[in-house]
Amino acid sequence: MAFMDDRLGQSRDFFQNTEMVLDLRNRPMRSDEISALYTRLYQKSMVRVVEVRLSDHLSFSMAGEPKKSRAAVEADGESNDCVPVIVRNTCRSGVRVVSSSDCVVLGDVNPGAEIIAEGDVIIFGNLRGVAHAGARGDQSARIWALSFEPNQIRIADLVAVPPRGAKPARGRFEIAEIRDGVIQVVSL
Amino acid sequence: MAGKTIVVTSGKGGVGKTTTVANLGTTLAKKKYNVVLLDTDIGLRNLDVVMGLENRIVYNIVDVIEGKCRKEQAMIRDRKLSNLCMIPAAQTREKNSITEEQMKELCSSLAAEFDYVIIDCPAGIEQGFKNAIAGADTALVVTTPEVSAIRDADRVIGLLEAALVRQISLIINRLNAKMVKKGDMMSTNDIIALLSVPLLGVVPESEEVVVSTNRGVPLVHDRSSKAGAAFRGMAARLNGESIPLDGDSRGFFGRMKRLIWD
Repeated sequence: MAFMDDRLGQSRDFFQNTEMVLDLRNRPMRSDEISALYTRLYQKSMVRVVEVRLSDHLSFSMAGEPKKSRAAVEADGESNDCVPVIVRNTCRSGVRVVSSSDCVVLGDVNPGAEIIAEGDVIIFGNLRGVAHAGARGDQSARIWALSFEPNQIRIADLVAVPPRGAKPARGRFEIAEIRDGVIQVVSL
Repeated sequence: MAGKTIVVTSGKGGVGKTTTVANLGTTLAKKKYNVVLLDTDIGLRNLDVVMGLENRIVYNIVDVIEGKCRKEQAMIRDRKLSNLCMIPAAQTREKNSITEEQMKELCSSLAAEFDYVIIDCPAGIEQGFKNAIAGADTALVVTTPEVSAIRDADRVIGLLEAALVRQISLIINRLNAKMVKKGDMMSTNDIIALLSVPLLGVVPESEEVVVSTNRGVPLVHDRSSKAGAAFRGMAARLNGESIPLDGDSRGFFGRMKRLIWD
């Protein structure tokens, strides 16, 4: 604790007003220890611990409203493990799913919902909201969906909107990927 | 056995929550159930106006929750049906003068005495909405066939699911069959495909609704009204009866045709 106070004092600017994920996978802590750490960090330098990881497939969120509806998200693993986030219901307006690897949605993505993944986005349903694949700049990331009628799709740092008045073809798998520097939607 | 607590909500304003509450409540009361309507739109109350009971208000929901009166004192009996009453919202207070816990308590105590507790939810998704859904076990989401209303309904359904409301059904209000045929309006099927919740009923667009609201007499008292028939069908379905959905939106010829076919 004393060491941490010292460190926080030294690098005050670095930690100022940031959000932090507390990783306790290798060192389990009691709940009162966690809460002491939480208040200490907040008072000292406005660091908010937003998420506590307890083990590989168990984590809980400390701040803000629950972004995902109950039991929606199975696991939030590390990207090098390639454990995708699986959402087992329809993503409705206002839902925002963020994944550090791929993201699989078993249902529709409705207008107003956002799916953001550092890898691919795979939707077994209609994509009507916003999907962002390769959020960390991976240009080879792709978006897969049974039907594309989105508000907007993004891959890496490119943004595309569907052409006006185009009627989507239903019931076949389509893929959005970067070809020659632009986002293109092709059917499988 | 405890009664059903039903919240009627929509997200967007002006889609017909209050009209739905008044008409469903009246229909259920006509079927000899004991019904209480609860207006939670504090600061913007209007269920009392639609029911034509505005001048009888003495106490309101905030008075009940703050313990200034017993809940029986705040209940206003309907002019025609003795087994229908309503608790009005306070007009001079704010939405955060009651809490979710207090609403839960009130709803469960009302559900112990009545067969149906129908809650009129305010527009929006802030504190007023959270209060209104706190005590409910069933939700009816009202939407009109407009993109903005459907978007808000979608958001509200998401919030209801997150709040663990067990049963959610959809009511489509002000559907214009002619416009749907011409392709100028979203059809029932389009809306259900997007929202993916079971449909309770479809209310056709009708001028009678405006007239009945202004007169303060719920539409279902008028036997000949088509919109009223839609509300009667919904009340029956809410009650567990199975009535085909098509009957609501079809006209006279549709009904004749069905009579001949069957």
